[in-house]
Amino acid sequence: MTGPIPLAPWQIAAAASLLVVNGLISVWLRLGLERTLAVATVRSVAQLAFLGLILEPVFRAGSPWLVGAICVVMITFAAHAAVQRSSRTVAGLFPSSLLALAIGGGGTAVLGTAAIVQVEPWWEPRYLIPMLGMILGNGLTGISLGLDRSLQQMDEGRDRIDALLAFGATPWEASGGVAGEAVRTGMIPILNSMTVVGIVMIPGMMTGQILGGTPPVQAALYQMLILFLIAAATAIGTLVSVLLSLRSVFDEAGRLRPERITRRAG
Amino acid sequence: MRLRATGLRRVVGDRTLWSGLDIEVGRGEVVVVRGPSGSGKTLLLRALAGLDPVEGDLTLDGVPPHTMGWSRWRRRVCYVAQDPPALAGTPEEFVRQVSSLGAQAVAEGATAAVEPMALAATWGLGEEAWTRPWTELSGGERQRAALAIAVATGPEVLLLDEPTSALDPAATDAVEASLQGRALVWVTHSAEQAERLGGRVLELSA
Repeated sequence: MTGPIPLAPWQIAAAASLLVVNGLISVWLRLGLERTLAVATVRSVAQLAFLGLILEPVFRAGSPWLVGAICVVMITFAAHAAVQRSSRTVAGLFPSSLLALAIGGGGTAVLGTAAIVQVEPWWEPRYLIPMLGMILGNGLTGISLGLDRSLQQMDEGRDRIDALLAFGATPWEASGGVAGEAVRTGMIPILNSMTVVGIVMIPGMMTGQILGGTPPVQAALYQMLILFLIAAATAIGTLVSVLLSLRSVFDEAGRLRPERITRRAG
Repeated sequence: MRLRATGLRRVVGDRTLWSGLDIEVGRGEVVVVRGPSGSGKTLLLRALAGLDPVEGDLTLDGVPPHTMGWSRWRRRVCYVAQDPPALAGTPEEFVRQVSSLGAQAVAEGATAAVEPMALAATWGLGEEAWTRPWTELSGGERQRAALAIAVATGPEVLLLDEPTSALDPAATDAVEASLQGRALVWVTHSAEQAERLGGRVLELSA
């Protein structure tokens, strides 16, 4: 079996022209999304082109430091995106997300290459970088949903938490339900994906491998692997980020400090 | 048992609400806190309860809260809000939640355990109120339910923020009578109630 048919720039332009439909819908329904759509299109072209160009020399260089640096940049951007998507924020949210994605995303990606796929060396960029990308892309959605839910509940449920604290609850006891609910919310997208995968949708990684000439059964096995890694990374990442964000809403005396939560405009 | 607060100071924005404030209360004693709206009566009670930050020193039997553990402090020095929030669920569910707190099991020096429903019944709160949602209860019903739950957890000091402001005279008398003998810091706007309660009076100024 051969590799995929090479694509030329005109073919990408042809596909991008379909976005005119999105633009027309936005104008017709007065959604005001034209500018956002244009920026998103240009960004995706630029970012993917950059990624494609940079990965070639990285694959050739075979330097673990270079691979590590790229992973750090990916995790940093993912943490930034996760925080930006939350409708409320609290001091220290970015470092919390960074740590959560490093432990959840970075940890599971390394576990996947080193212990499960058993790539030699474990940091082989052809495996580690795409796997980390898949995990981070999905994991940050879970983290941002979980953070949004936990801060919303802490903000809106401050009376209940304050009442429980007044009766001697520890911060953990007073907000325990919040953490559980937030992690559950963060897990929903990946659980939904796992439910419909293979029936309703063929996910990106499997599609790419099939187009690349991998036998479908092998592509399916890789897809299973990545789904399980994403699920684990989302659970770990969401739990860590939610717990750290809840910690920020209490002070050293375990007092609830709702004034530390700020709502984003819009 | 003795709650001692010395040199309390609280600044809100650029306004100093109180400074150099001392409070002391022991078993069977009452400190009545009075003052106009905005003088920081609620903030004072919340500060004593360890629910709001404050400058100054707090001790219970000579032990500061950070040594005792803040959750244990709040269990032993319990604050009851003037207008308990209309929480989700029912008072009965809240009682279960409060009694499931791990902390409650080790409430030391606690006064004899009381059943909140039986206690509130003596204040005229019917049993059916406990199974109705908090949101459907009147201010007076919420006030009595919250106070009964607080008393039932067996704190050594009760910090009461106008606990009878929504009650009729008969219920007010019943509440005052049943809380006698406890260590109380009691905020009230009523001069008659302050007189009935006896004890020291702390006047805060606006």
